[in-house]
Amino acid sequence: MDNVTLTVLGLGLGTFAIRLTGYLLGQRVPQTGPWARGLEALPGCLFAALVTYLLLQGQGPEWIAGALAALTAALTRSLSLTMIVGIGVVLLVRGL
Amino acid sequence: MPSQMSDKSEFFMGARESVPLALSVTVYGMAFGLLAPQAGFGHGDVGVMSALVYGGSAQIVAVERLISGSVAMAAVIAGVALNLRLMLMTATLQDELRGRPRWQIALGVQSTTDANWALTKGAQASGRAVGYWYHLGGGGAVYVAWMISTLGGSVLAQLVPAPERLGLDFALTAASIGLLRGLWKGAGDMAPWLVSGAVVVIGMSVLGVDPSLAMIAGGIGGAALAGVRGLQQEPQNG
Repeated sequence: MDNVTLTVLGLGLGTFAIRLTGYLLGQRVPQTGPWARGLEALPGCLFAALVTYLLLQGQGPEWIAGALAALTAALTRSLSLTMIVGIGVVLLVRGL
Repeated sequence: MPSQMSDKSEFFMGARESVPLALSVTVYGMAFGLLAPQAGFGHGDVGVMSALVYGGSAQIVAVERLISGSVAMAAVIAGVALNLRLMLMTATLQDELRGRPRWQIALGVQSTTDANWALTKGAQASGRAVGYWYHLGGGGAVYVAWMISTLGGSVLAQLVPAPERLGLDFALTAASIGLLRGLWKGAGDMAPWLVSGAVVVIGMSVLGVDPSLAMIAGGIGGAALAGVRGLQQEPQNG
């Protein structure tokens, strides 16, 4: 098999295994107590980490757009409005 | 609160509400489609990889490895490392998947991406009674966007404008900020989230660790604080 086929199959299998393993490991976590609280908090924490990482990739314009997008999100809770403001501001600031 | 929804209407609700996310996914998909031919991928390879892996950043990283001359094994390891965070996500799908037939469990975990997972968890955080079919509906919509954009990017490579010119490279960040807002449950989230962010900043900027590792450490760090924090308030019943 060539490099491309091996990569496609390897990553396909590996990714499915990761997704399934996560679910199976999560089954073994107790339903109450600190482990359950941690698992409950995990979605927000993981996304806070992801947003931090994405903002670290950017610079001034992305940080300004990120701040205004966050403000929009906080006030409106609207996903599409947050995206429109973020993309609009980044375009505007880059063009200045 | 909605009353009992049918599986089908829950599925389409998830699909509908993930449409804005599909835009950010499309930008990523185009980027992958443009990149892959440089690593020797034909259109068919692009389609099969997107269909099987269904993981944006991991596919891009793996292809970048190949372009820079790595062997398949190194490309797979790089992609798998980036996808390790999916393990933390499917771990939180217990209520959605428990007691379902195996094929539904397989479909449920495989359709999990950052986007539809955060959408589902955010909807639940705001008290809506959505679960498996909502998650699957979001995954289905994102899947369609992913297939069309990766294939489109590879077929129409010359016609696609650079995403930076339209500000679309920021779509993923803006979408993630919107999703994060949905996951906010109250003031108690503040400290764990700050810990998560701080761990990523320190990990990447000070210690120089790999971004995918820093992200996982950040997620676990914040969740650990949230888990341990309640210990003092728990009743001391042995």
